[in-house]
Amino acid sequence: MPGVEEDIRNLVATIIEKDPNEINPDANFFKDLGVDSMMALEILAAIEKKYKISIPEEKLAQLTTLNQTIAVAKEFIK
Amino acid sequence: MNNKRVVITGIGVIAANAVGREAFSKAIFDGASGIKPISLFNTAGFKVKTAGEVADFKPQDFLGDKGLRTLDRSTKLAASATKLAIDDSSVEISDENSRAFGVSMGSTFGSISSVSNFDREALTEGPRYVNPGLFPNTVINSPASQVSIKFNIKGFNATISSAFCAGLDAIGYAADQIRLGRAKTVFAGGVEELCEQLFLGFYKTDCLAGLNGPEICAPFDKRRNGILLGEGACVLVLEDLDAALMRKAHIYAEVLGFGMSFGPGNLGRAISLALKESGLNAAQIDFVSSCANSTKELDSEETRALKEAFGPSVSKIQVGAVKSMLGECYSASGSLQVAAAIAGIARQEAFPTVNYEELDPDCDLNYVVNKAKSCKINKALIIASGKTGYNSSLIISKYQ
Repeated sequence: MPGVEEDIRNLVATIIEKDPNEINPDANFFKDLGVDSMMALEILAAIEKKYKISIPEEKLAQLTTLNQTIAVAKEFIK
Repeated sequence: MNNKRVVITGIGVIAANAVGREAFSKAIFDGASGIKPISLFNTAGFKVKTAGEVADFKPQDFLGDKGLRTLDRSTKLAASATKLAIDDSSVEISDENSRAFGVSMGSTFGSISSVSNFDREALTEGPRYVNPGLFPNTVINSPASQVSIKFNIKGFNATISSAFCAGLDAIGYAADQIRLGRAKTVFAGGVEELCEQLFLGFYKTDCLAGLNGPEICAPFDKRRNGILLGEGACVLVLEDLDAALMRKAHIYAEVLGFGMSFGPGNLGRAISLALKESGLNAAQIDFVSSCANSTKELDSEETRALKEAFGPSVSKIQVGAVKSMLGECYSASGSLQVAAAIAGIARQEAFPTVNYEELDPDCDLNYVVNKAKSCKINKALIIASGKTGYNSSLIISKYQ
């Protein structure tokens, strides 16, 4: 899945209004990066839209870092 | 209602012909029109090409770079005008006093483009793929809510959605809240954005100038044939007089009275109620900031209503229509008219109704046409009315 990691990094960066290179992939979205619940939903929806996939809502709780988000997305991207 | 006096201590304007209180004052007294070719959407295929658009609006100039990504144009206009009003009034909002502040915002069509765009994404991409971050824009109270969130205002928050009157009604409501002791300071005004959906609605209902005559915004003129749309936001700082005096605020004007009515032909009653609440008689009004918007019906109806409410003294009153320069800004119009009237009080000058050329026998008041005119203005009447049936009137005075 070439490019997925960079694409999701850019997508998250746009939503949380940070430079993509500033995001530590293991930084906690909520504690370290100022992500709120609406932004988390936006990240989920933006990934679904980009890859035309459906990620079950119960997976939302796992989207706490960039690395975990990429890992969850990869489970569903074919 | 108790005897608290309500004064205006700050003005924030984002209009088609100027941004900021001082620039707006200069523009309207220069007769500078904000009507221009529409750039926000493609007008190819339409007969009407112009509107009072706020060109090159950059909300980041007022609100900073972050936190604007998902806000719609109405919300950004309202928040920007509020920031200008806060700065103009020098009022300070802190965690300790934030519950003493309120927001009262007129907004009627504000969410129409957001609703349309949200639906379009669901239809074209699939309902699963809509951006949830854009959903808050789809409600009419988004501008007022975001103003409270952005500026840490924790007193009441209200959206008034009464069409052409919303901006003026929001000011009337705010004044009542202060008189009732429910807030010390209220950011009150109105907002409306220009968008393709709104344009289409007015176009298809045959309301726009240019469809049945020249494409001009010429209130009271015989050639008038419909409105040109406008947009913008105007937020005033309404404040309890004692609070304003305590912080040594500059006081632009005092709110004396407000009146409302509903139904065609009923504007005179709204004016009379405002006079009654003010404790004034008609002869004490020096200037009318008119809502005339270049439609056959409204401009002549306002003329008739002023005659009904004022009687013979109507001939002594100067009348100016700021929509001749801004277009019909709908929910923002009333508050923009108040800002214009306040500028008149400060300058002791009546702003002009521009584009006036031909007399209409149905509109025969003492209009200030094409050029500003020096005159005594201590008390001004501001009128809002429209074909939807709402009528409102506000009276302000020089603070003494």
